[in-house]
Amino acid sequence: MIRIKSMKRVSIVSAVIAAGAMVLTTLPAQAATPGVTASEIKLGISSPTSGSAGTAYGKIPGAMKAYFSYINANGGVYGRKITLIHRDDKYLPVLAATRTTQLVLPDGDGVFALVGALGTATHTKAYKAASLAKENVPDLFVNTGYSGFGDTTKYPTTFTVLPSYAMEAKIMSKFIKENFAGQAVALIAQDDEFGIDGVSGFKAGGLTIASTTLYPQSSLTDARAKSLLTGLGALAGKPVLVMMGTTDVTATILKAAESLKLESKFTWIAGSVGGDANTLVGGFKVEPATINGMLAASFFPDAKDTKDEYVSQFMKINAKYNKGVSFDNVVLQGMNSAMLTVQALRAAGKNLTREGLISAIENKGSKFVGAGLVPLNYSATSRVGYNGYWFGQLNASGELKPFGGKLSIFTTDSGDGAIQASNFKRPTMPKNGIPTNS
Amino acid sequence: MKNLKLTKGLVALSTAALIAVFTVAVPTVARAADDCQETTIPSGIKVVDIEKCTGTDMNKSKYEIIMPAKFNGTLMVYSHGIRYNVNLPAIPVVAPKGSLINYAPEVAPSEEVAAALLAQGFALAGAGVQNQGWNLEESVEAALQVITIARDKYPKVGKVVAWGNSLGGLASQALAEQMPGAVDAVAPMCIADSAQAEITYAGDFLWGMKQFFNPAIKGTNYSAGQAGYVEMLTDLGTVLTTFQALQASITVNPAAPEWPATSTVPAALKAIPVRSAILLLGLISGVPTQSNTYDASSGPAGALETTFGLAISPALAVLENGAQAAVLAVIANYDMELRYGGVVFDNSKTDYAKRLGDDSDIFVAALTGKTATAGMLGYLSPLNPAAPRVTANAAAVAKMNSVYQLQGKIEVPTIQIAATADHIAPAGAAQYLKNQYEASIDIKTSKSGKLLTIWNKPAAEYTTFSAAGSPVAPTGVTNGTQHCNYTTSQILAIAKLAASAAKTGKIPSSTAVKAAIKNEPNLFVNPNFAPPLLKFRQ
Repeated sequence: MIRIKSMKRVSIVSAVIAAGAMVLTTLPAQAATPGVTASEIKLGISSPTSGSAGTAYGKIPGAMKAYFSYINANGGVYGRKITLIHRDDKYLPVLAATRTTQLVLPDGDGVFALVGALGTATHTKAYKAASLAKENVPDLFVNTGYSGFGDTTKYPTTFTVLPSYAMEAKIMSKFIKENFAGQAVALIAQDDEFGIDGVSGFKAGGLTIASTTLYPQSSLTDARAKSLLTGLGALAGKPVLVMMGTTDVTATILKAAESLKLESKFTWIAGSVGGDANTLVGGFKVEPATINGMLAASFFPDAKDTKDEYVSQFMKINAKYNKGVSFDNVVLQGMNSAMLTVQALRAAGKNLTREGLISAIENKGSKFVGAGLVPLNYSATSRVGYNGYWFGQLNASGELKPFGGKLSIFTTDSGDGAIQASNFKRPTMPKNGIPTNS
Repeated sequence: MKNLKLTKGLVALSTAALIAVFTVAVPTVARAADDCQETTIPSGIKVVDIEKCTGTDMNKSKYEIIMPAKFNGTLMVYSHGIRYNVNLPAIPVVAPKGSLINYAPEVAPSEEVAAALLAQGFALAGAGVQNQGWNLEESVEAALQVITIARDKYPKVGKVVAWGNSLGGLASQALAEQMPGAVDAVAPMCIADSAQAEITYAGDFLWGMKQFFNPAIKGTNYSAGQAGYVEMLTDLGTVLTTFQALQASITVNPAAPEWPATSTVPAALKAIPVRSAILLLGLISGVPTQSNTYDASSGPAGALETTFGLAISPALAVLENGAQAAVLAVIANYDMELRYGGVVFDNSKTDYAKRLGDDSDIFVAALTGKTATAGMLGYLSPLNPAAPRVTANAAAVAKMNSVYQLQGKIEVPTIQIAATADHIAPAGAAQYLKNQYEASIDIKTSKSGKLLTIWNKPAAEYTTFSAAGSPVAPTGVTNGTQHCNYTTSQILAIAKLAASAAKTGKIPSSTAVKAAIKNEPNLFVNPNFAPPLLKFRQ
């Protein structure tokens, strides 16, 4: 005998359930916002704090935590304390996916939003694996210049903070053409979106490059760097050598030059992601004399410029809440992203929701204050944060001084838009570095 | 329903099922007499009194029914996964001691699971299908027959749960979709996708191996008769020796391993570390980048600490997983070509660059950069006469696809489990069922709330290294990787949830599900988690 279900009974039961469901759907939504309580906002960050990427960028989560601690000590955000949960992904895509999933899962860390994730490959993998789009998890201030994250169809909840690599290359093109006309230009760039974005930016910027070397991430060994520099040393004059890679690779190239006594052969230009003097000298043991005179693009004030009000305030916070960690561009970047986060949370209002946070950045993000010396570019159609650069020259103390003695800021987009001189004036810092926006 | 070759009696049942309001009596089907014996089985410290009945159904599939003395009213009907449809001589990895086609019935994924369920009062049943290989139709019918036989013999059977592993999971789901009312709950585990999706998955990888590493691999279009059998066995040997050559090369120089001597690709391609080519094949086919040994994250202490996880481990994972996928491709292609009358694998129109998608960015370092990736994809391009594509026999494909294809029409509670790094039935197969079900809800063919998916993931980091920095193969099998590699407690959790669902007609509450898996750190439930579908579906 096989018992077949009574269709009539099933139909009646189904009808009752359906009616119940209709009643329920008319009630107001009662679901709590994940990661938010009356007293706490839980945020998460997956980024490297170990391995070579950890040496270069490992201070970011600590700097963010320090700033959040400072805000918590000053009342939090509408009375809620911010908790930042950090997971070390070692800059590895598969691990970043696992870590991010762990951060987001309700039965895991259950965070409200992600902030400050680092890396293109890592975050591309993590975004999809952790279903951030489906979960509608705000994905704030990602530390990558990959322009692809601006695609709101693929990354509807993502906001990057760095100017895109394409913007950087375009502005760098203008800078080189205007200041080093006649010198051969060589490019050493990571053979991924980093380099591809850069190469397309140089093309859009109309810069002629005599030699382009693209290397896969983690493959530029000391031996390869020496071989490259030996070859490039044959270029006539004092070639401009542009390095668009991570700080560990910049260090490998500079140390190879030291070894080959080629420090003065080139005019060195480090891309913004790979040019932190403190990390190069302190972390990777590049000689101070080697970086002396090196050019670097930046959208921040110099982290050693104690006269800058943001730098000064962040230094104080760092000293109190991030004890034992030296202040540099990486710490500055982390604190700045934390400050943007606090403003975003405030702008989203007391009734915090994921949708509200995303909407707040779209609508008010361009007005957020921060240490950046270039404009913020957030809007309903733009998810890229800063959109410009200035060029400076490092001295042996690692201070980045405006090239030619005058701060010149240029802005552009990631496409074929013009490169424009900007008269952007950074808004005054809120009192004691504590945002009061709404 | 038309795809089921049902017996006269069972056709009567299915027709009746569509129109019945109450209970339908099933005519007794002709079959060999049961052989029933009362006996005991050990289950932990208990001894369980059982009656074990074996027999042969009218299609000559062997079956087994085990009824515990203390029956709780629920029968669990298990469908086993795919088995080789050929006798194999001793072949390392594939069949170390040689193997004959196995027609034995299975009532549970393991003896330990069976004993535990019997101790809890569940009756168990299952068949050993009369035709092995890709036997979806026969497997569905065998399950249906054993249900009929069990109900006939034991009228006290109240609820029936259909469950199964891999192809058996697909059969369980296909049974429930085609025969509403035959079962009260379903638990597909490591569910397989359709024949075409699975053969595309394994076939793509095998085809890539042939192009990159060893053109001697035949891969498809095996001859008829004994000659074809010999070709298939020869292919197995060729595939295995190619893998051994790749493994040896990576062992000598993990960072920049050389291509095997059998490779005929141009020198420019051979300048790329062969690990990147292995990874590329895995990514375009959908082979997981985590395997039993390799987690794509850990590295040995020292200079390779992060480089290993970034650039080497994903490729080694694909190599470890791919060896079995390629073996499956050889045996499954041979089986399906015989079964359906021609070549069923087809990549004549496949755009492998598109298949790679975002993985070209995610694994760019392990692929040795964008330039190398473009070079490798260029070699696999349909425009390269040195890498000829395969065109299937249209009639054979049509025949293959004429069997029942899942609709996602779910009427009884269904609880599935799938591992995120399953290398034979990738997690995308379970996701496909989810998608089909959601589509079915959208068109109001199914009601919501009938499907629960439980995911099984490996730990974040599990690769271990020797003092010298070499990866060490685990002594056990890493949970969350490999095919249908669930622990006994995980399987029991699924079985109990399914049995509970069969009783109530509902998916257990989230509280009950949480309680059921609270001691299972590698299991999680997240409705929004969506692993990629098999490449054939993308």
